[in-house]
Amino acid sequence: MAIFGRRKRLDDPHLAPLADGCTAIAEASARRLVRITGQVTKMRVRPTAHLPALAVTIADETGSATVVWSGRRSIGGVSLGRYLTIEGVAVRRGDRLEFSNPTYTLLPGKAH
Amino acid sequence: MNIIVAGGGSVGRYMAEQLQASGHEVTIVDHDAKVVAKWRSLTEPNGVKWLLGDACELDILRLASAVDVDVVASVTGDDEDNLVISLLAKQEFGVPRVVARVNNPRNEWMFNEMWGVDVAVSTPHLLTGLVQEAVTVGTLVRLMALPGNKSQLDEVTLSATSPAVDKRISDIGLPRESTVVAVVRSGQVVVPNGDVVLRAGDEVLVLLTGEAEVDVRQRLVG
Repeated sequence: MAIFGRRKRLDDPHLAPLADGCTAIAEASARRLVRITGQVTKMRVRPTAHLPALAVTIADETGSATVVWSGRRSIGGVSLGRYLTIEGVAVRRGDRLEFSNPTYTLLPGKAH
Repeated sequence: MNIIVAGGGSVGRYMAEQLQASGHEVTIVDHDAKVVAKWRSLTEPNGVKWLLGDACELDILRLASAVDVDVVASVTGDDEDNLVISLLAKQEFGVPRVVARVNNPRNEWMFNEMWGVDVAVSTPHLLTGLVQEAVTVGTLVRLMALPGNKSQLDEVTLSATSPAVDKRISDIGLPRESTVVAVVRSGQVVVPNGDVVLRAGDEVLVLLTGEAEVDVRQRLVG
């Protein structure tokens, strides 16, 4: 099963090779539907005027991207060190891709 | 640039006409079959493409090639629709610049990045700003918020009692988060280097971030 294969690779102590069907973050393009897999390396609640937004940095061995979920301070299961697969359309902000409210899948793998 | 205008009312058509005339490729999306049929048959605005459908639906935006456009302007008469269109444009198509029309000023607070809006245009607020600017001397007036809503352009017509009068710009002590971008003196634009001495009656345009406003007001208005 694809999931099994993915889990096996993600248990690798080094950052996992890319999960099936995913694009390396460095090669993912803005404005197209992409799937990336990476580890949560940073989490921050963005203070905005009216609602909070959870901004999470996801990194694989090629680079990192920002994922923002509006209106949330936390999302169950999304924590530092966790592996996520993100599927969505990103906007380029500076030298980084930023996904807003993408579909996410929590992957089994080590959390700190 | 390629631009989608959502809403084929008078605002949408006017914008489309102006933009198309300045060399952009504009598609108007409207869900009213009569409106679309009418303006299509009149081929107005000239050169603009019409698409029949609800811009709040993903498939319609896809048909309008939202993945490739540079700007989406949602200018329907319905604030809810404008928000939905903005959100979809940003979230599903990653449109770099999303401009939305605010019909009811009470709704303006929602038109922000949370809903995918880069620039919100509220006619009542714009008018209030312009009217204030026209009638007031010695008050700091916010003319417009710049994209990202972090910086804004303010204007003040200096009154005789302003602490900045007869001082060089570099001596006013404006905060670092602000800069004088122009001084209009009796209809002429004066390039505002630090040595320009301000006079009563000068219109001073200042670019600043929100936090600096209080300080700037103190320095220019008193």
